[in-house]
Amino acid sequence: MRIVIGQGSCGIAAGAEKVRQALLKENINASVAGCIGMCYLEPIVDIYDEDKLTRLVKVSESDAPAIAEYINTGDRSKIENLVVSDEDSEFLNKQTRIALRNCGIINPEKIEEYIEKDGYTALKSCLTEKTPEEVIEIIKTSGLAGRGGAGFPTWFKWNAARQSEGEEKYLICNADEGDPGAFMDRAVIESDPHNLIEGMLIGAYAIGAKHAVVYVRAEYPLAIKRLKNALEQAREKGIIGNNIFGTDFSCDFMIKAGAGAFVCGEETALIESLEGHRGMPRLKPPFPAQSGFWRKPSNINNVETFANVAWIINNGGEAFAAMGTEGSKGTKVFAVTGKVKRSGLVEIPMGKTLRDVIFDIGGGMKSDKPFKAVQMGGPSGGCIPASLIDTVIDYKALGATGAIMGSGGMVVMDESTCMVGMAKFFLDFTAKESCGKCVHCRIGTKRMLEMLERITKGEGKEGDIELLEELCYAIKDGALCGLGQTAPNPVLTTIKYFRDEYEAHIKDKKCPAGECSDLIEYSINAEKCKGCTLCARNCPVEAISGTVKNPHVINIDKCIKCGKCYSICRFDAVVKA
Amino acid sequence: MINLTINGKAIQAPEGATILEAARANGIDIPTLCYDKAVEIYGACGLCVVEAEGIPKLLRSCSAKCTEGMVINTESDRVVQSRKIAMELLMSAHDGDCVAPCQLNCPARTDCQGYVGLIANGEYDSAIKLIKNKIPLPASIGRVCPHPCEKACRRKNVEEPINIAQLKAFAADIDLNKDSYLPDVMVRTGKKVAIIGGGPAGLTAAYYLNIMGHSVTVYDMMEKMGGMLRYGIPQYRLPKEVLDKEIAIIEKSGVKLVNNVKLGKDFTIESLKTENDAVIVAVGAWQSSSMRTPGEDLEGVYGGIDFLRAVIKGNPPEIGERVAICGGGNTAMDACRTAVRLGAKEVYVIYRRTRAEMPADALEIDEAEEEGVIYKFLTNPISFNGENGKLKSVTLQIMELGEPDASGRRRPVPVEGKTEEIPLDSVILAIGQKLVQGDVSELQLNERGNIEADPDWFTTNMDGVFAIGDATNRGASIAIEAIGEADRCAKAVDAYLNNQKMDTRVPYISKRDEATIDYSDRKKEARKTPRVLAPEVRNKNFDEVSLGFTEEEAKEEASRCLECGCREYYKCKLLNVAQRYDIDPSRFQGEMPQQYTHDANAFIERNTAKCILCGLCVRSCREVMDIHALGLMGRGFTTEPSPAFALPLDQTKCNNCGLCVQLCPTGALTEKANLKKQVPLNEEYTEVKVEIDDQQASLLVSRYNGKILRVIPNDEISRNANLTREQLLAKLQ
Amino acid sequence: MNDNIDLSLLSGVLDEYAAVKGSLITILQHTQDIYGYLPKEAIELISERTGIATSEIMGVGTFYTQFRFEPVGKYLIMLCQGTACHVNGSELILQTIKDELGIDDGQTTEDGLFSLKCVACLGCCSLSPVMMVNEDTYGSLTPDKTKKILKELREAAV
Repeated sequence: MRIVIGQGSCGIAAGAEKVRQALLKENINASVAGCIGMCYLEPIVDIYDEDKLTRLVKVSESDAPAIAEYINTGDRSKIENLVVSDEDSEFLNKQTRIALRNCGIINPEKIEEYIEKDGYTALKSCLTEKTPEEVIEIIKTSGLAGRGGAGFPTWFKWNAARQSEGEEKYLICNADEGDPGAFMDRAVIESDPHNLIEGMLIGAYAIGAKHAVVYVRAEYPLAIKRLKNALEQAREKGIIGNNIFGTDFSCDFMIKAGAGAFVCGEETALIESLEGHRGMPRLKPPFPAQSGFWRKPSNINNVETFANVAWIINNGGEAFAAMGTEGSKGTKVFAVTGKVKRSGLVEIPMGKTLRDVIFDIGGGMKSDKPFKAVQMGGPSGGCIPASLIDTVIDYKALGATGAIMGSGGMVVMDESTCMVGMAKFFLDFTAKESCGKCVHCRIGTKRMLEMLERITKGEGKEGDIELLEELCYAIKDGALCGLGQTAPNPVLTTIKYFRDEYEAHIKDKKCPAGECSDLIEYSINAEKCKGCTLCARNCPVEAISGTVKNPHVINIDKCIKCGKCYSICRFDAVVKA
Repeated sequence: MINLTINGKAIQAPEGATILEAARANGIDIPTLCYDKAVEIYGACGLCVVEAEGIPKLLRSCSAKCTEGMVINTESDRVVQSRKIAMELLMSAHDGDCVAPCQLNCPARTDCQGYVGLIANGEYDSAIKLIKNKIPLPASIGRVCPHPCEKACRRKNVEEPINIAQLKAFAADIDLNKDSYLPDVMVRTGKKVAIIGGGPAGLTAAYYLNIMGHSVTVYDMMEKMGGMLRYGIPQYRLPKEVLDKEIAIIEKSGVKLVNNVKLGKDFTIESLKTENDAVIVAVGAWQSSSMRTPGEDLEGVYGGIDFLRAVIKGNPPEIGERVAICGGGNTAMDACRTAVRLGAKEVYVIYRRTRAEMPADALEIDEAEEEGVIYKFLTNPISFNGENGKLKSVTLQIMELGEPDASGRRRPVPVEGKTEEIPLDSVILAIGQKLVQGDVSELQLNERGNIEADPDWFTTNMDGVFAIGDATNRGASIAIEAIGEADRCAKAVDAYLNNQKMDTRVPYISKRDEATIDYSDRKKEARKTPRVLAPEVRNKNFDEVSLGFTEEEAKEEASRCLECGCREYYKCKLLNVAQRYDIDPSRFQGEMPQQYTHDANAFIERNTAKCILCGLCVRSCREVMDIHALGLMGRGFTTEPSPAFALPLDQTKCNNCGLCVQLCPTGALTEKANLKKQVPLNEEYTEVKVEIDDQQASLLVSRYNGKILRVIPNDEISRNANLTREQLLAKLQ
Repeated sequence: MNDNIDLSLLSGVLDEYAAVKGSLITILQHTQDIYGYLPKEAIELISERTGIATSEIMGVGTFYTQFRFEPVGKYLIMLCQGTACHVNGSELILQTIKDELGIDDGQTTEDGLFSLKCVACLGCCSLSPVMMVNEDTYGSLTPDKTKKILKELREAAV
């Protein structure tokens, strides 16, 4: 029997390491795997008996003896409650995994396990059997497009960098996954780092780069550790360095840790940061393909893009292109989070609908509140309302809604989420992350944020929506880089689909979702209140008074609107309005 | 060469040229704030955007290269909107005053901070020239003006406002007592302008129109010029000798003055119009207003200005020993203090509100009291009682203050049944004055009974006839108001005479939010006022009460100025661009990114509150000088150019080359002038070649009225020579 | 407190990276690993060894949120500001921490025990709301759970 524990960052955060230690005490030495993507079920213990898999979910330390008993005696009785349900298994069964194909299955710290899964065969075939042009042609056939957000055809960038004159060229992997709500890149590096390395080496070969660089967020220490380890092992096997696989192709590898700046996801800012400068975007042209890192031709792709490359080489561009829609090929990974029942990583072929992801795979809403919207593309994206739930996952179709495919963050919201608050959240993010170089972004995002803050405080005034829109379009037109140009999207889409919610804040000074604390009031429905005193005892400011078995009353002047009484009441007697 | 079209004009540009370079080479102006040839292209300000046909995005012309067949529009609606919003955003985060509040609150926009600063430096000639750009009668106005400038003066938030009016009188007196300043007048245009009325409005319009080259004649009904300044203000406040001298200068400058001629008797507006190219009506308001109180027709009841005029003309009426003045304005003060000087034993001022609401100058109120005037606050005359047609007493209704009225002052309301009677010999009604309507029967009047004049153009219903001052629109006001109108009217008349259009749009300027200003670091220094004659001396004669500032006092007082207005006002690129677009930054009002600071060394003053983050200072210090004294600190909205660890510049490698100051498009960095007190002045800059270490080097020299104010290194040699400003100055001599 | 900055601790890092162009951020990261923050003396030494002006170093240091210029408390609380955390109520957690510790974002408690920093998405979205305290991640936070964690940490420190 082989015991595997998922140990991605979130698995560890959920207690995976503690479970592993507890099993060790039972003399069971479980091996490590990355993240399978069923984040809501972590920690997960997979037990393989030959090919038969028993998957245990939401395991805690105290379950270790029961698991040991099962392993030692085959007695399942004490672990039945841990075995993943058929319903939850569907979460994975309905996916098509290419980029994530090894995630949560192999040990990311052992190159042998990667090689066992046909690892590095794609690289070898490229180096020994294909010209760089042929490699680019395969990628062209596959229709692979940049998975970082913009969706630019990968082959085109590779070709431009290949065509650029110069001996020294750089291949750069953008692992500065900054979209708050997306974590697939982290999962790939933590769970299958060799897949990234292989994809990058193929890319380096295609463009003629001798140097490969991974720019990874410093906030991902585990990813950095596993990537370093993987590079070490690859170097030992001669997969990185001089004369790889005995060919005359040589490529070195370097990891650079970012230091906390979302704007460094923008490629020219990333280059500035790589050079040790403030991450402020450069003017384009010149594009990095002509003048990038150290002013040399450079090509930048993101992690997920590279994670598809080895598979495409092994299976052919056509196989990849067979999936998806006219304009969007292959699969895409989404990080599905928020108010959804099953949250985690979902990789599906392009062309599925949002409904497929959120309801079919994600299982719909966690609570009994109806689905309201899904936020896609993070700070550069937008909110897609429930009425567009059947939108097809396709760069163009998503773009038409005002949101973007983005890097794959999919934050699901129910009726309790205020959409003005959502716009404010993202503007707060972009305003903080603005590098400060160009006027439109530096001051424009700040002013938008201030307006949204006023609106959510009930200080909005007639004309604010129009002024916001005017400012949005001006920022889109005038900002220097992608961060600023897309910063208005969360505002524009929420105004587009939830204008009435803005108006309610501005005109009626009400927050329909009941989230903006300045605009809500709590009261107790005397008919429902049983006088249990629970709320009064838990109120942090003693704003609730009443005697046992008699209806209680909230003193509005004292109430700080923390919502404690609302969430604690067992009789739904506390009313939020 | 590349062929392209910009704004419909076919042009050629060399290979590799940017759109900005191509446009500027062909005289097409594209605004920029972060661009300079000296440093690498940056692309931050976003003002240089242009639209290119077939390209969906706006292009930053500073970096976008010209391509063959390109069709560029540098002024499309989309481009203008983008620049407008960029400027609104920039100004919403630019914490500075282009112009000091004193100047903004002066109806004539006199550059108060400028002349106060020049006086502090002892530059009296420059001060009077600056004043005379706006006021041709400064010695008189300095004495009588209720100085709205001082009401706006921010020094009041430290202790008390600067004594701006008296400083003006001080500088003007110096000028009057020597070879007085005469303005340069322009070449004669041959156009003739007639002005009816020789008061402050008429004389001012005459002075400036004459400077513009027009031949001006002022017609006045009185025996001497000066209008209300002469006939409405007592000698003890404005000695007529001072006024005479100032009028003499106006006459000497070329204005023709004709007295003892009266509109409607000796000429009509129409008749003047036929003989002249333009006519300005500035006849003033010469009729005392009535209170509509029973008994006003009794003997012993006088109008305020009628009374003052009679005294000034040398035939004061018999006012007796007990006199009451009705009203709370400056005319009431003039009347009561004149009554004291005429020998009245009991002089009352009857005012329906309290001292706090009195519109008269506080100093006047105090000085009158010192001279023995008795205030009857919260009283209102309900009848003047007489015997045989002669005044005997007044019955006063006792009042109390109720709710505030539209003006914000609390409305006086009668206390039911409470009255008081005071025996009197005479009453002077000083509650206002109005136009004598019969004089201007040719002109259309408004519902207030004043001449209707366009507020911007001062035009009337008669073509070529303009009207200004007390006789127009809202009626009588203070002299400086009339002077301001006259100055603007002179420009309007000049435009009319030249068949030109005048831009009456008020150009945008940046103003600080008063509520955010912190004065805690200011040292308190008491306001200085000139010494005055003792009350027991002055109440017996008409000698001037104020003895004027001594030079030492004036300099000290002037040095208290907080220097609110920006020194870079005259060459601020930011303001220049802002004024090109119809901007309203208040739409985006919000938090300011930086604290207002006063960090300065001997040469350079830094105030990042005004910084627009063009980066030119940091970039030039790095790229051109390789000194790196400044870096960009922080990120986003609060990014700040600063030395490392917020050290003062003196503790960095800064060699005071001044390049950063030269490139700064606004007032975030300023080069200190060779003056003890810093003053915003419209300096003239010239390039001067000197020898430094046997090499020819370039310096930029600024002068004001001939005096060298700044010497700035202007090329590689001078910037790297590490010479002090004194050493550079020595090179010039 | 800056008297006892042992600059010799930096020599290894500087020997390795000072001459390698583009290494400033790496050097600063190592420096912060050593001292817990970026002491002024260290920056001056880095400037001396790399030839990069202190204004440029501070420019870089203040640009990235990772760098600190003041020592931090024994426990550095990093509260995730990701979207999923926001949707699941991280605002309430922030308020709880502020109330419990009496500090704002970026501040350290007077006893030097806790520093609070709001950080960009930690990527544990499924466990939202999430915070990290030093190396440990705590997920699915509620105000009560947060208070309990803080209490335990405080007790552990004594």
